[in-house]
Order: sequence, then structure tokens, then C-alpha cells
Amino acid sequence: MLPKSRTVADTNIVVDTDAHTIVLTRVLRASCAQVFEAWTQPEQVRCWWDPSGRPLAECVIDLRPGGAFRFVSGHGTDTYEFAGIYREIAPPGRLTFIAMGATGRVMLEEIRGKTHLTVRIECGSASHLDDYLKMGVDAGTARTLDNLVAYVAAGDR
Amino acid sequence: MKSEVERLDRVFAALADPTRRAILVRLAASEATVSELAAPFRLSQPTISKHLKVLQAAGFIERGRDAQRRPRKLVAAALKDVADWVEPFRRQWEARLDNLDRHLETLNKKEEPRAAKEPNRRRYQHRS
Repeated sequence: MLPKSRTVADTNIVVDTDAHTIVLTRVLRASCAQVFEAWTQPEQVRCWWDPSGRPLAECVIDLRPGGAFRFVSGHGTDTYEFAGIYREIAPPGRLTFIAMGATGRVMLEEIRGKTHLTVRIECGSASHLDDYLKMGVDAGTARTLDNLVAYVAAGDR
Repeated sequence: MKSEVERLDRVFAALADPTRRAILVRLAASEATVSELAAPFRLSQPTISKHLKVLQAAGFIERGRDAQRRPRKLVAAALKDVADWVEPFRRQWEARLDNLDRHLETLNKKEEPRAAKEPNRRRYQHRS
């Protein structure tokens, strides 16, 4: 479990429905190399990936182009898996993977000691974008939206 | 279910055009007639009407009460639909990236003697 400090809600999200793309941006207080490692070392990913702040039940990373990854959040019988294949591994600035039928691009840029993180999720079509937004939240789980809200609130505040 | 997907397709298609987004921004201020809406754009009234038709089919606008002027007005609920659609996803990533930020912060606090054991980068696996 991560320490509970207050953070400002400063993730910027842009949904480009024309390009079927979601772009998230965030400034992190660390170097590019550190952020890249946090995204690619299983012992680190397991600490932060789950929105609740609980460690992942399982985190497998085969870090090479064509290698698979599998992040499993497990809470009793209710588990949620995010799995995919790495496409491009170019530390410290770039990581590309395919997951849930979409291409995910993690782009890192260091500006004055802070890392500007951009996560770009490219879907194939508008309905795929719709699926992705829904699946990203509750696919494969019995978790309802209300549960999710309570769950995030409990883990975060 | 299918109709829900079709509805979202209409919503996205409607929002994908800069003129239509500008029309929505204008209508957020107050209702307006077709000629009032056409004025700031260098577009003909029929072109504006075509955009309005798309916005109306997507549920973003409706006709106002005044039968003479036939003003168009914004349907706030439709925009809220779009915001609601993204919200759970945004919330999830917000929490996740908060975690990442705090994780990096804890790393930086106990930094330094970390370089000693560089783990094997190829296939490793952690279970709990």
C-alpha cells in the first residue's frame, strides 16, 4: 500500500473522437529514467498500477519487442487483468505496447528535472474507443461503476 | 446495445468537426437563430443548417420555443453524457498516476544504494 498523501488532480485527458484516440498527460517529480523503470520493472509496476493503490496480485513482464506483459489486480474472486505485447522499448523516452486491441504509447520528456508523461491510446474505431473506455474500467469484473468510485475513493483519500 | 453504439457514433461524429464545436460553444452562451449562428463563420446559411442538423440528430441541440425566429438551443444533458462516458476512465487513470507519482516520491526518498543490484531485464516474474 502506498502512503496516502494528498495530490492535486492534475491528469489531463483529451479524447479525440475523430482519431479514436485518448491522450493522458501528467507531470511527474522524477527523472525520465526513473519513470521508464517504474513502467517496465515488475517490482515497481506492481506497486502503482492498480488504481486502489493495492499491489498487483500478479505482474509479469517480458521486456523485449514481442514480449508479453500481464498485470493482474486481484481482490478475492474479483480480478481484473490488463495484458498485452510490447512493441517498442526505447528507454528512457519511449515505450509502445498493444493491449485490448489498442496501441498504447508511453512518451517521456524531461523538462527542468521533471518528467512530462504522455500516454496515448489509439483505438481502431469510434465503437472500439467506446469499448476501450468501458473495458478499461470494468471488463472481466463484476465491479459496477458505483463500486469503482467507492473503491478508488477508499484507496486514494 | 447496438443503438447505443450508433448513438455514440453520432455523438462523436458530431463533435469531430471544429465548426460544430464552435456552434456548441456559441449556444452554451445563449440560444441563437440560424443567421446569428452563421454570422461569425464565413459559411452560408445552408451549410450552417447542415451542421445544425448533425448536431440535432446527435441530441446536442433542439429548437427553441419561438416559432418565428426558430432559435436553436443547447441540450446540456447531451454534453454531460459525453463527460460521463469518459469520467470513470479518467478517474481510474487519475488514481493510477497519483500512485505512480507517490511511488516515485518514495523511491527518491530512499534513493542511492539502488544501483548496486541491477536486475536481470529478461523475463522475470513476481507473484504474491
